[in-house]
Amino acid sequence: MLAGRGGPLLIATAGLMLLTTSPLAQQQPAAVVGRVEIGVPISARRPSAAYPTRAVAAPALASASELRHVVVYLRNAKPQTVAPMKVAVRQHNESFTPRVVAVTVGSEVEFPNDDPIYHNVFSLSRAKNFNLGRYPRGDTRKVRFDKPGIIKVFCEIHSHMSATVMVLDHPWFAVPDEQGRFELPPVPAGEQSITAWHERLGDTTVRVRIESGQMATADFVLPVPAQ
Amino acid sequence: MTFVTVAVILSVVFVVLTLEVRGRVRTAEINRLGLTERLFTTLEARRQQEQLATIAIVAENPTLKAALDTYFAESSFSDLPADHAASLRQTVSVEAEKLATLTGADVVAILDSTGHIFASAGVSRDLWAPGQLIDTPRNEASTFEGVAALAGGTFRYVGAPLRLIDRNVGALVIGDGLDEEYARQLAGLAGEDVVIAVNGSLVASTMANDLGRDLVQSATFLSDDAEDARAETEGTLTLQNQEYAVRTLLASGPARVYTLASVGAATEAATGEALWALGTLALGAFMLAGFGSFWLAHTLTGPIDQLAGEIGRMATSRDLRRPLHPTGTSLELDSLTEHFNELVRGVAVAEAQTQEAYLGSIRAFAAMLDARDPYTAGHSERVSTLSVLMGKQLHLSESDLEVLRLGALLHDIGKIGVSDAILRKPAALTAEEYEQLKLHTTIGAHVLRQVPFLAPHIPIVELHHERPDGRGYPLGLRGDEIPLAARIVHVADAFDAITSARAYRPGRDTETAVVELKRNVGTDFDPQALGALLAVLPRTATTPELVGVPVPVHRIA
Repeated sequence: MLAGRGGPLLIATAGLMLLTTSPLAQQQPAAVVGRVEIGVPISARRPSAAYPTRAVAAPALASASELRHVVVYLRNAKPQTVAPMKVAVRQHNESFTPRVVAVTVGSEVEFPNDDPIYHNVFSLSRAKNFNLGRYPRGDTRKVRFDKPGIIKVFCEIHSHMSATVMVLDHPWFAVPDEQGRFELPPVPAGEQSITAWHERLGDTTVRVRIESGQMATADFVLPVPAQ
Repeated sequence: MTFVTVAVILSVVFVVLTLEVRGRVRTAEINRLGLTERLFTTLEARRQQEQLATIAIVAENPTLKAALDTYFAESSFSDLPADHAASLRQTVSVEAEKLATLTGADVVAILDSTGHIFASAGVSRDLWAPGQLIDTPRNEASTFEGVAALAGGTFRYVGAPLRLIDRNVGALVIGDGLDEEYARQLAGLAGEDVVIAVNGSLVASTMANDLGRDLVQSATFLSDDAEDARAETEGTLTLQNQEYAVRTLLASGPARVYTLASVGAATEAATGEALWALGTLALGAFMLAGFGSFWLAHTLTGPIDQLAGEIGRMATSRDLRRPLHPTGTSLELDSLTEHFNELVRGVAVAEAQTQEAYLGSIRAFAAMLDARDPYTAGHSERVSTLSVLMGKQLHLSESDLEVLRLGALLHDIGKIGVSDAILRKPAALTAEEYEQLKLHTTIGAHVLRQVPFLAPHIPIVELHHERPDGRGYPLGLRGDEIPLAARIVHVADAFDAITSARAYRPGRDTETAVVELKRNVGTDFDPQALGALLAVLPRTATTPELVGVPVPVHRIA
């Protein structure tokens, strides 16, 4: 049981399974697999009604699985040299899709506009603040993220749109699939903190002992949001 | 009579109407206040709705949302460097400041997702210091409203969540202090007084403070339950012996906003107006009644009074010759007048006949008297004729001439009581005899008094021997004390006496008579009467009747 940051209720259980195949002194990195659960399913919310969306039918705005809005990453990892990635965050049905992406330092993120309306992309975040201006359907603009950190992305035309780009200076991170399953690349053996970050629920961290060469498991149950 | 009746009826109507008006006006006032306040409640609800719509739109501020969300996302991810935190906070504050300027609200506050103040702007920003918890309703509603009781004051607010696609990053709240100014604004909208109470104590009031306090204390009938309170707000309260209609405009949290209006004052004003109108009406009616009565008097009683006056004059003067004039105001009155005239004509004819009969006998009497002494035969007729001529010379009126004519004719009637021995004595009279003769004036008057219609002639008969110097008889009157008619007859009598023959002397001519008369002017004879005689003499000289020749009795009779 760990106390999560900002959460009133925190039930974090970490299942730890240590599968020791060889008691060798040589420390081999090992993959970490796990599952993320959210205590009580969060009901999909409609965007605010001040400007009723005309361009997009309402049911389409229902969010994809909340579990896709989580980034699981190795906490306190030493900076590594990492290969840049190419990721696209599409502007589709007045929302950023996917809403949460995690990339390595030096990666470029493209923001193509799929909607038949103008969009804008801007950020006030310290790691990267930018404003790509307004552009129409079919256009795309991209941003290169050179510093690690969390970058909140918004559209200045549609105030309800938001996305998160997490930039990491190491390769040990993953975004769960729609079932909540994830797998981190082989992690150095030893005591490690692994954090599941959710855009609204904040961080939930578990400690995992990575045995050399042995696959570890880290399961998360994220706190029920206080609403 | 008419006026008094109308006045009494009007007074009664006035009193009854006053009482009636009071009752009705009071009911109407209470209804009106209820209506006004319902209308205002509706308007206020609409205003609230519009505010909520406005804030929902205003809350769609991408900069605000981005700065707030970035702030909390980053600070939860890792410790936020101070400069970056400050610039994000500043971004939020500037947006709040803009909104405060735009809306003119006392305070614009940005709350975080837990309801704590993140930033605030506006004149009351100091009371809304960051970190304080504002207990806003946090549910699915897109907008909300409420009342926040802070340390420095109570605020009524509307708010809207700052919403991203599926979550709230915080809330925008626009608050107005429940203070005197707010009360004044509400009062201006409602057109009635407004009292604001928080937690059962007075906060602001547009009325005298003690009245407001009384209201808050008296308003215990208003339940704490907002629903109940709204239901029970239509009522009246008596504060400081004044009746007020009270409604609750707002019952939210610890705050209550009441609007109230004095029924008494409104009733008084309306009653006053009604009474004024009624009074004007009554005054008009009174005046109308007055004028009406005056007009009636003029057209009805006026002519009757006029006729009555004429009849009265007719009765006192016994002058029946002039008929009444028809007034022409009404047929009935004219017909009455006509009949009266007819009657009076009959009476006048009868009276004339009676007088004629009297005169006939008197004339015969006078002639008989004259005939007692041949020397005085025709004397009365001549004096009468001469006197009338003199009277005409002196411009006497017709009626005075008539009196003069008959008076002169009868002037010696009293000699009826004087013995023939004295009257016919051919020598001068002894003093005693002369005294006897002098009695004829008094006797004549006494005789005439027996006949009422001869009364006007009495002075002539009684006083025709008075002298201007006061040495005449029977009373010894002087100058103007003697009636003019008597003075005229005195001169005419003397003239005829001188120009007539007597038993002891012949008649003298006119010139001698004039000399004789002139000699005694002022003492024995009135200068005015003598002047008149002298003026008429040339004409009379040719008149045989005035020559002093005895006329046989039979010619007169």
